[in-house]
Amino acid sequence: MKIHYYPGCTLKEKTTALDLSTREAMLRLDVELVEPEGWSCCGAEYPLTEEKIIGLAAPARVMRQVRDEGGDVLITTCSFCYAVLKRTNYALKNDALKHKRINAFLKDDIKINPLTKEKTTGFEDYNGEVKVLHLLEYLRDYVGPPKIKSRLKRPFPGLKIAPYYGCRLLRPQKELGLDEPDNPHIFEEFLELMGCTAVDYPFKQECCGSYLSVSLPEAATEASYRILRAARMNGAQAVAVTCPLCFYNMDKRQDAIRESFLDFGGLPVLFFTQILAWALGVDKSALGLAEHAVPAAHLFEDKPRAEVTL
Amino acid sequence: MRVKLKAGPEPRKFIDRIEELSGENVYACYQCGRCSAGCPMAAEMDYLPNQIIRLVQMGLADEVLRSKTLFLCASCFTCQSRCPKGIDLARVMEAVRHVLDPKGKDAFGPNEISPELARELPQQVLVALFRKFSK
Repeated sequence: MKIHYYPGCTLKEKTTALDLSTREAMLRLDVELVEPEGWSCCGAEYPLTEEKIIGLAAPARVMRQVRDEGGDVLITTCSFCYAVLKRTNYALKNDALKHKRINAFLKDDIKINPLTKEKTTGFEDYNGEVKVLHLLEYLRDYVGPPKIKSRLKRPFPGLKIAPYYGCRLLRPQKELGLDEPDNPHIFEEFLELMGCTAVDYPFKQECCGSYLSVSLPEAATEASYRILRAARMNGAQAVAVTCPLCFYNMDKRQDAIRESFLDFGGLPVLFFTQILAWALGVDKSALGLAEHAVPAAHLFEDKPRAEVTL
Repeated sequence: MRVKLKAGPEPRKFIDRIEELSGENVYACYQCGRCSAGCPMAAEMDYLPNQIIRLVQMGLADEVLRSKTLFLCASCFTCQSRCPKGIDLARVMEAVRHVLDPKGKDAFGPNEISPELARELPQQVLVALFRKFSK
């Protein structure tokens, strides 16, 4: 079965681990992920003022392309892309003025076929027909736990993983509706399905500092530290994330966290798709484990693991 | 004794502009402080999120526009999800950033990132950051 998949900007170059493990894992569930032709960056941030709505044009264009290719579902794994695409969809469905202005803008699009140089123009209005789904949502509602369970080759007996939701996956609930913003459980259910033990800890839906890690690194360092420390104190052997920016803040910047907070002992950070891919029997080389700053390869072993000490 | 506060024409303009841009009713806020209690960046701020909204209610534009808080909000929407009055404070913050001097300096521009760091950063952080903090 072919399903549309939107990887987004970061997955193509910086966090190929997330992209590759997603594709491999979905193949094992009989789903081939296809990208919409000519997709662009979604803009990463949903425009929050009523005047700068041009930011809705790029995501609307991507979703219109999916519809025109005959797709009704668009899967994404990056939390930022998920929020921008889904909120844009919501706006185009529920806000008549935004719908009118964005479609008026996109009508003049010219698409040029790279081979024949043939030009297409005069697009039909996009009215929010495509359903935007996070991969966790797709696995739960479309593939379903029984099928996933029957395909598991290497579940993780007793590995303690702390699910980290972050900001973009849950809020605003009215527009995203993935789960309850202060008491989410979709990630826990996924981890339990993989055979892991989901660790409950207080900071799973707190912000990791997001883009402040560049403009105000100290503030983001502290935010990420709070999350990792809470996960570690509750016995987690690793934190699982869905977002490449959370991954950057908590894995790639873990040295900075250690420098600022001497009591911090370190904790591997994984993408949820790496767990999925490994459990479904994907080869270790396709998990992108070399991209991790904090070594995580020891968590993916065929033999029973010894207790992880860091 | 009852004291009635009424914004003059200049402050009134500021308040109306913020409401128009954000689409939020700032007067809905009754200062319960849940936004500030849950804000992950509150410790770094000069004015707490609930104080920002109070300053907007009073039309104190200069105070708001000078605040460091505007560039500490990561739009994580924790305040939005917890506000008992349903105000989306992230939108108010964005509206205030929007009315900052449009010809002024970027709060955070591309020149402040070294080429080494830029190579290492995920693309999405650059796109998000410049969307939020540059003109």
